[in-house]
Amino acid sequence: MRLGANLVHLPIVRAVAVNIAMRADFDVDAISDLELAVDEACSSLITHAVAGSVLSCRFTIGADDIMFTATITSTEDVTPSESTFGWRVLTTLADDVASWADQVDDSLHQVHIEFVKRRPVVTR
Amino acid sequence: MRQAATTSQQRHSSHEYDHLVPLFDELAALDEDDLRREAIRDELVRGYLPLAEHIAHRFAGRGTPKEDLVQVATVGLINAVDRFKPDKGSDFLSYAVPTVMGEVRRHFRDASWAMRVPRRLKELHLSVSGASTRLAQQLGRAPTPAEIAKHLGISKDEVYEGLEAGQAYHASSLDESLGNDGEGMPLGEAIGEQDAGIEGVENHEALEPLIRELPQRERHIIALRFYYNLTQTQIAERVGISQMHVSRLLSRTLAKLRHGLLDSDAEAEESEASG
Repeated sequence: MRLGANLVHLPIVRAVAVNIAMRADFDVDAISDLELAVDEACSSLITHAVAGSVLSCRFTIGADDIMFTATITSTEDVTPSESTFGWRVLTTLADDVASWADQVDDSLHQVHIEFVKRRPVVTR
Repeated sequence: MRQAATTSQQRHSSHEYDHLVPLFDELAALDEDDLRREAIRDELVRGYLPLAEHIAHRFAGRGTPKEDLVQVATVGLINAVDRFKPDKGSDFLSYAVPTVMGEVRRHFRDASWAMRVPRRLKELHLSVSGASTRLAQQLGRAPTPAEIAKHLGISKDEVYEGLEAGQAYHASSLDESLGNDGEGMPLGEAIGEQDAGIEGVENHEALEPLIRELPQRERHIIALRFYYNLTQTQIAERVGISQMHVSRLLSRTLAKLRHGLLDSDAEAEESEASG
């Protein structure tokens, strides 16, 4: 899904995340974690996005996991550092967190944050 | 100066407003940007205020505080003053009364709609939340929506609705309705006085004061989730609140920290630029 890179659109992305996780019958912890992780990833990207640009989000639904990728365009390579609090939040909430940037031209970078939320293994 | 209308007056004959009528012509004769417009408009609104109060009074006793009704009626009155065209051949009162009543009626329609829908969702949310807590105790882990639906004997769609209500209604009323939970928090083991495990975090100088400002319970929950890596269900059990309440508190607190960090970034840039 493609939305304006603006914080006002975040509730939409969060709602989609919750809905996907509920329908995949993830447990209530995982549903909330996915929502919080999506919120964190998108907010941190949006604050660096070029004004008026697009936030693109992709949910890929697997049998036992949901992969989320968010991408924005920025004037700098704003890949978050792995020693920030935000990164700790992301890696606690989600699995396999990654972030990278592609240089589009001299002045623009596409910055991505991607993670997987796995269905917790049920031990009975 | 013309006498401002006496708001305490109980008699509402139309004669009471006779002295105001010429003001409409005066107002209409002035240019759009004439500074005197504002004063005349104020005088008209003040003058007709007893009308708004009178109408508000007629709607009293329906569960909306009198002051709110007067406020809503006054908004209606201001609209009426702004929209009234004296050259249309009707007098102001016959134009204003339906306008003000319409505003008050709209208020009741909106308010009662807002109360009716969330009540069902609120109840659904509370029962889903309660079932989730009971199941977590039975299973020793967080339940899934399907498990909650089975436990409550309701459809999965209803469980989804109940869960979403928790996301949508960040309103404090929802938390209030859960009671004064958090009372059972084991303060003794609170590591809240520490720094929520942010040592070694790059931006910890900016983060520390923000974390210190958090209410103790929020600080505790952040530490348990992001330092001790407990699940929301484990935190809920420990702190003595529902998992959904933990979820809301985490969401709110993370947003607060993000905003705080952004502000401190902006300040740092400013002082760099000026220094």
